[in-house]
Amino acid sequence: MAEAWANPGAFWTQVIAMAVNDVAWVAFWLLFFDRAGEVRGWDSSRVLLLFAVLTTSAGLVLGLLANARSVGTLAANGGLDALLALPVPPLAHLLVRRIDTANVGDLVFGVALFLVTGGPTPARLGIYVGGVLAASVLLTGFPLMTGSLAFFVGRGEAGDFGLHSILLLAAYPADIFTGAPKLILYTVVPAAFVAGVPSTLVDDPDPRTALALLGVAAAFGVAGWATFTLGLRRYTSGAVWTRA
Amino acid sequence: MSAATSRWFAVGVGTAARRALAERGGLAFTLTFYAVIVVVITALWRAAAESGGGTVAGYDATALTWYILASEAATVALNIRMIEVVGDDIASGAVATEMLRPASVLGVRMAAEIGRALPRLAGCAAVGVVVGATTVGAVPSAAGLALSVPALVLAIAANLLAQHAFAAAAFWVRDARSTWFLYQKLVFILGGMLLPLETLPGWLHGVASALPFMAMAYVPGRLASGHVEAQLLVVQAAWIAVLAGVAATAFAAGERRVQAVGG
Amino acid sequence: MGGDDGDGRHGDGRLRPAGPAIDVQGLTKTFTAGRGRRRRTVEAVGGIDLAVEHGERVAYIGPNGAGKSTSIKVLTGILHATAGEVRVLGLVPWRERRALTRRIGTLFGQRSQLWFELTPRQSFHMLAAIHGLDRRCEERRVAELAELLEAGDVFDSPVRTLSLGQRMRGELAACLLHEPDILFLDEPTIGLDLLAKQRFRQLLVRLNEERGTTIFLTSHDVADVEHVAERAVVINHGAVIHDATVAAMRRSLLATKLIEVGLSGPAPALPLDGVTVVEHGEATARLVVDTTRRPVREVLDALLEAWPVADISVVDPPLEQVIAEIYGVPRP
Repeated sequence: MAEAWANPGAFWTQVIAMAVNDVAWVAFWLLFFDRAGEVRGWDSSRVLLLFAVLTTSAGLVLGLLANARSVGTLAANGGLDALLALPVPPLAHLLVRRIDTANVGDLVFGVALFLVTGGPTPARLGIYVGGVLAASVLLTGFPLMTGSLAFFVGRGEAGDFGLHSILLLAAYPADIFTGAPKLILYTVVPAAFVAGVPSTLVDDPDPRTALALLGVAAAFGVAGWATFTLGLRRYTSGAVWTRA
Repeated sequence: MSAATSRWFAVGVGTAARRALAERGGLAFTLTFYAVIVVVITALWRAAAESGGGTVAGYDATALTWYILASEAATVALNIRMIEVVGDDIASGAVATEMLRPASVLGVRMAAEIGRALPRLAGCAAVGVVVGATTVGAVPSAAGLALSVPALVLAIAANLLAQHAFAAAAFWVRDARSTWFLYQKLVFILGGMLLPLETLPGWLHGVASALPFMAMAYVPGRLASGHVEAQLLVVQAAWIAVLAGVAATAFAAGERRVQAVGG
Repeated sequence: MGGDDGDGRHGDGRLRPAGPAIDVQGLTKTFTAGRGRRRRTVEAVGGIDLAVEHGERVAYIGPNGAGKSTSIKVLTGILHATAGEVRVLGLVPWRERRALTRRIGTLFGQRSQLWFELTPRQSFHMLAAIHGLDRRCEERRVAELAELLEAGDVFDSPVRTLSLGQRMRGELAACLLHEPDILFLDEPTIGLDLLAKQRFRQLLVRLNEERGTTIFLTSHDVADVEHVAERAVVINHGAVIHDATVAAMRRSLLATKLIEVGLSGPAPALPLDGVTVVEHGEATARLVVDTTRRPVREVLDALLEAWPVADISVVDPPLEQVIAEIYGVPRP
């Protein structure tokens, strides 16, 4: 965080860049629905809700838990060694060790978007917060899983790639698909649960859906932790080829 | 361009293309990324067409699909963060070293970047045809598809020139590199990458039609979607001439600045 | 079989313009630094006069910040002078940059002229096309350079996989492809291991002797001067403070060695001809030896016999110190 204050020019241009990015997406959706009307039950207010959940949780994970996406590269480059030398639980410390302050801008944008367009009542706000937390667990666990591949295969980019792909797919309502692709978005790459499902819950709080969301989030959270721990064990045993 | 310049430009494109073709990993990554993106976005527009009674802004589901396949190919083939990369090269003094060659710095870079993009473009085009054929079937117009091929090449040339023109700001302002974000969004919306320009509200459509971004994604998309409007290629060529002039002027000024204050 | 740059060059029977290869008179370059009220003018180099003839091997040396890089940037055209006259091969570098770059080669130690993801050979192909060399000429030249530089497989591996020493050979080939009249090198041996440095220096000498290529080299490594240059121009604080043949300098400057001694007990005074004791404390002592008057070996023998030596090292004096002490210029 000290770095951000040390170079305010770069920090603010990054924040502005993110703001532009988010505004552009909102603009795209507004233009789209303006022209297309309601599409498979989705309209602009539902999509903006989705986008609010997405940016809030992405801002949370990319901003405050910035190392979630970097596990792979850190493992491949030997960057975990410094971490292992410390007397703290490695995963927790790894996650909080880096803060990308500019991404916190996304978080602020997401909250603002919800407050402005999401019709915030106490109930809706509560579900929104819950949804964001579940989504964040998912957004941390999934790239941890893909990134931990680096412990076993040596290529570090999978963590970043995993995060990018799930974020990309999460930005669109899963209902635009049918059949196999739709199934993938609810299972293997649980992009639907990142923003689509939580945002739907705000409008229509269904306990079974909520339970499914929590279940999937927990599952991927645990899976992420497990693969990381297994991988770390392998790493410390010296069996991993690194570029270090 | 003199004969000598054309020769080294062609050599540059060829060498860079050959090298990019050898980088299997990077190529595979780009093509996979392209495939995922187009599957998602074409599905979105097909769903929109379905809800809209079969068409959106005059495009039916098939036309929309082929539009997106082309508009995305034109952009995914390029490193959209190039403004940042070139900006960094300027700031680090790498560009100053390039001034030690008896050739235009911008020209050599353009040759290398176009060369690098061509294999990706070809790969995306191939993947695009497969995706199109399997989701909506035949292309609306063979002539349109044929015209979209040169349009794709012109599109990346225009895009690269514009990015270099933007990046040249780094000769004066350190943080110009971050403008890549803004540029990318301009291409997404005003360039017609995410949505056909005809879907924009009237006034915005007018603005977009007057800006160079439309040459970078809209034109190949429009042609591939079955609208055989060959004059669009002329529009692209005109924009390339304008952007080349702007970029060359910016770089010349930047190089003079390097000579004054160091690289 | 040179390029079609139209000045009548053909192979080795080249026409050379009359006059020195490099002619500098009163070169001054100032920069403005700081912002707003703290704006000030910094003079990087001031009033430099220098003439280098064709075929010379000149080392342009000085400590960090002396103005070496600024000078060489002016000579190669990427920086324009604030005042003074500069002509390289009869051309004003920053004004006639394109024409000049066809006839000079440049190697900046910390900058690469090769494309990072390409192999050197592919880079040569691009550069040859840029210089207008036809295919046959390019192939002949690359083969010659491969032999001269003992490149082996180096030219066919991507640059990012090469070691620094290998990459430098590629860089050297790249700047010699078009058979330049002058080769400018800015700190070319930085980061190379000892063996690689020696080979590099030998290459430069061979290049100069076989082809008559003028060598202009900046360095802060005294060994570069000793093994490559016939003439050394010393600059400090942006001005030339010494310009002489290396032979003459060897007699005066480079004949000094510093001995640093760690003592484990009291040491008696040890007067020796040619030895100046700079410092003599309880635990350490420093001596300066004029090796033209007394070989280092004799001094060491005497020291080891008479003193309780715990640790001893013999070093070349740092260039800054040599310059400062010999020429009485206050140390920066």
